[in-house]
Amino acid sequence: MSVKIPENLKYTKDHEWVSLDGDCYTMGISDYAQGQLGDIVFVELPAIGTKLTKGKALGVVESIKSVSDVYAPISGEVVEVNSEVSAHPEMCNSDAYSAWFIKVRIANKGEIAELMDAGSYAQCCN
Amino acid sequence: MDLQRTKLFDSHQELKAKLAPFAGFEMPIQYTSVKDEVFSVRNHVGIFDVSHMGEFFIEGEEASHFVDYLVTNDIKGAAAGRAIYTPLCREDGTVVDDMIVYKISMNKILLCVNASNMQKDWEHINRIKGTTHFKCTLTNHTDDYSLIAIQGPKAARMAIDAGILSVGEESGFAYYGVMEATYQQKNIIVARTGYTGEDGFELFCDHESARKLWKKFLEMGAAPCGLAARDVLRLEVCFPLYGHELSDEVTPLDSGLKWTVKAKASGFIGKAALDHYKAKYHFIKLLLPEGVPRQGYVVEDETNQEVGVITSGTMSPTIGKGVALAHICKGKVATIDKNKKFWIIIRGKRYEAKLQEKAFIIGGHK
Repeated sequence: MSVKIPENLKYTKDHEWVSLDGDCYTMGISDYAQGQLGDIVFVELPAIGTKLTKGKALGVVESIKSVSDVYAPISGEVVEVNSEVSAHPEMCNSDAYSAWFIKVRIANKGEIAELMDAGSYAQCCN
Repeated sequence: MDLQRTKLFDSHQELKAKLAPFAGFEMPIQYTSVKDEVFSVRNHVGIFDVSHMGEFFIEGEEASHFVDYLVTNDIKGAAAGRAIYTPLCREDGTVVDDMIVYKISMNKILLCVNASNMQKDWEHINRIKGTTHFKCTLTNHTDDYSLIAIQGPKAARMAIDAGILSVGEESGFAYYGVMEATYQQKNIIVARTGYTGEDGFELFCDHESARKLWKKFLEMGAAPCGLAARDVLRLEVCFPLYGHELSDEVTPLDSGLKWTVKAKASGFIGKAALDHYKAKYHFIKLLLPEGVPRQGYVVEDETNQEVGVITSGTMSPTIGKGVALAHICKGKVATIDKNKKFWIIIRGKRYEAKLQEKAFIIGGHK
């Protein structure tokens, strides 16, 4: 199965995807990440209002055999949390890009330039 | 150090297994998904390459006397053709390893030991043998054998169809039985054992027969299963694993294995220490409705006091909940009744766990 890397999204080296929308972004973990983790059984997300710092852990994804941190792609404040994905963690396996984790109001737009486009990210998935 | 590979390694690569180092071997951890592999074994049939495990043979007229002296469980009293799970202890009662003793005949015994402990076991057993005068020989055949486990409710049917044993042999072959058989004119050892709680067989065979059998089982529709599924399967049925429930630091009495330590008047290594040993821990099973318990997580009681630690934990695909085994310090909790409450600490948060009396899953073995 080939790894899906949609052109319209941005990515981090830690395998988070980012969808930019004005002052906010939506994020989750990439298709490559879910494939590497295997059956995802638990997702722990921050509460609304939590202040995130780029590169710091914002939550946790657990597969049957592993525990992995999820990192903030850009600093900001959590404005929306997808409780569906905590209730049904297997959504990450079936479609990583519709299983969004949180929406965040961007604190520092300068950090956007540090994200990778699909072409660069594909190099991280070999 | 270079990792060793089992003789089935080419097949694991062809099947695109995720590989990882385990006990000095490059082993298949999973092939498709841990969940699917667990379900295959619980509902149909799965096969495991466990050739990394160690095989020692003890042969001679006093073979069963020597093994009886070596381990805590009763080997002398067991009939020929039986397999016996047992810890292997030091003089002070601590656990060197746990193993299955296959009493193939009265004077031919196979010990199947954990790969990660093989060298330590070999040295320990040789040391003990050097202090005794039992009439038997001890040989290490780890490199000569491949080991395939075929596990699940359809395992018996598949073993018959593959020509390993006849319908008549199968019906008279109880769980934890062992016998010598032939597969395509080669001698193999067939045991009705495994590490999953399901019915099934472990096949000790030469490498060529192992390659043929592995290929045959795959063609017949058995799901290849990795070590991750094996660990989940054993934990669902609450079988201990060395490095988790057992270690150089604990005795069998600390991990619920009192049933494997027999009175044996003729004595055994560790008897003097174990006769007077008071277990340091209660060994308990915890079910977690929310969250995933992991080895090393702290267990607290209703007063927020740390009382123990998780020895093994995972999400059980079969019941869809977190399952764990734990050591609770007897110094902190004197007795445990069935209403006792425990909490598991996960990343600083308290998750209430339910004390379980029975294993999380009752396997389908006969």
